[in-house]
Amino acid sequence: MELKPIIEVKNLYFSYKKHQVLAGVDLELYRGEVVSLLGPNGCGKSTLIKLILKLLHGEGEIKIASKEIGKYSHKDIASHVAYIPQYNNTPFNYTVLEMVVMGRVAKLDFFALPSAGDYEIANIALKKIDIEHLSNRAFGQLSGGQKQMVLLARAIAQEVNVFIMDEPVAGLDYGNQIRLLELINELSAQGYTFLKTTHYPDHALLVSSRVVVMNGGKIIAEGTPYEVITSKMIESVYDIKADIITHDAHKRCVPIFKK
Amino acid sequence: MRHKKHGRYLIASTLLLMAAAIFSLLWGQYYIGMETFFEYLNYKLFATSVIDQGTLALIDNIILEIRLPRVLLAILIGAALSTSGVVFQAMFVNPLVSPGILGVLAGASFGAACGMLISEHWIIVQILAFIFGFISVGFAVLIGSMVTSSRSTVMLVLGGVISGSLFTSLLSIIKYVADPYSTLPAIVYWLMGSLSMANLNEVFLVAIPISISIAGMIFMSKYFDLMSLGDEEAKALGVNVKFIRIIAIVLATLASSLSVVMAGIIGWVGLIIPHIIRMAVGPSHRLLIPLSAIAGGAFLLLADAVSRLALSVEIPIGILTSLIGIPIFIIVLKNARAAWN
Repeated sequence: MELKPIIEVKNLYFSYKKHQVLAGVDLELYRGEVVSLLGPNGCGKSTLIKLILKLLHGEGEIKIASKEIGKYSHKDIASHVAYIPQYNNTPFNYTVLEMVVMGRVAKLDFFALPSAGDYEIANIALKKIDIEHLSNRAFGQLSGGQKQMVLLARAIAQEVNVFIMDEPVAGLDYGNQIRLLELINELSAQGYTFLKTTHYPDHALLVSSRVVVMNGGKIIAEGTPYEVITSKMIESVYDIKADIITHDAHKRCVPIFKK
Repeated sequence: MRHKKHGRYLIASTLLLMAAAIFSLLWGQYYIGMETFFEYLNYKLFATSVIDQGTLALIDNIILEIRLPRVLLAILIGAALSTSGVVFQAMFVNPLVSPGILGVLAGASFGAACGMLISEHWIIVQILAFIFGFISVGFAVLIGSMVTSSRSTVMLVLGGVISGSLFTSLLSIIKYVADPYSTLPAIVYWLMGSLSMANLNEVFLVAIPISISIAGMIFMSKYFDLMSLGDEEAKALGVNVKFIRIIAIVLATLASSLSVVMAGIIGWVGLIIPHIIRMAVGPSHRLLIPLSAIAGGAFLLLADAVSRLALSVEIPIGILTSLIGIPIFIIVLKNARAAWN
């Protein structure tokens, strides 16, 4: 792991109208990590990643590759970091290949159109996650899981090392949730870095090298998943009881009903 | 493979456009036979054929003074309205908008009518048409965003309806104060949409800014793909959304406003052509914009031919495009509804 973080957030504040969403957040992301941002609805997870991507503007310091994001254009940021949104609902039905090629735009000159080489890179990205058979399918007609895979392929085609994912498994059925987590694991083993928000402590246990827990716009715990995800933390953040059990040498989070 | 396919579409549609243009040059109250036309062309280009002076003067008059300006203007305006429609739809991530629905045509017609009232200079008319076309889009967007902060397909359409109504009302005031014997009939006939007032000089003058706008929109096509995913995604993929949106709206408004100056309000072209082409070749703007330009030109050429030839009197082309456009749009709406939901 490198000593210098690829993403560095210091003392970050953000408010929407008069509501304080983030109140002094510090975060560092190092190459090769899979960091899960965990916390209840409205705790500021999505806001934090949007601030890192310069989609929102807050107060504080955010650096990507040791440089303030204020000095970066969106094109510069897209040359360092890829964003995989929760969902995409464009009314225009692009093919999967067209969607993936869009990841190449940050690499092109102002008037240049994607070349045959860019289409080749998009095809390689599709192959990398085994969805090249979807290449000519209409993106709008894919299942939620397939759409997330396509957006991941687009991030790979962007040829960056850091992927930021907002609730990657939101709206996916159980099978697709697990398949997507497996894929994140595989890509992480190939050297990709992930910062992802999640609602599921169990997913954070399954696929993370580090977990950051947020509540009320602040980071309240940070460390390895096994250190951070405890029954006490679950109760204090979500106000429910849960057991952390060990199964097959891995820890799992099992919620317990009150009655 | 992909580029070859795109090339084939473009070549086939250009050939169709050329066929429509030749048809429009030959057909009319006075029919020019194919043989005569080629003799005339030979004479004009290479001076190789023999053609008697009487026929030459007659064909010169019909083609150069009457039909060629109409043909070129129809192609220009059809292309301008269609490409503007495509770009507005991408910019607002809204398949239901067009220059007409956003109120651009109404705003531009008010601006142009103001220009006609205060000045005889064509450039003043063009500038005012553009300014008020731009104001009307801004007003439509403002109304849409005042009512709801989120992106709403329907609210933008309603904003456009309100903006269009406002400028139509303002236009009525101009009609009210215009000279009922000269300016008023001119404004009313012009507003119905007509290509008949064109002469070659005017067409060439307007061709420059319209062609620049269309070329700009074609060159920026890759950004329109990304912008049609929504602002957040486009920014994250590296697009300077604000800059691209302003440039795109300026180009689309310029092209559609100038079409109003030259031929009045020709509705529906900017809505139906993008939809038809999108259904045929998909939404990728790299092909959608040039193909819509060609198809828009061909559509308006054929509509103009019908407007000239269907009855003994010429039907204003704006009325005809509405009559053709409405049923086509109902069919398109029915087919495309699932994708929009």
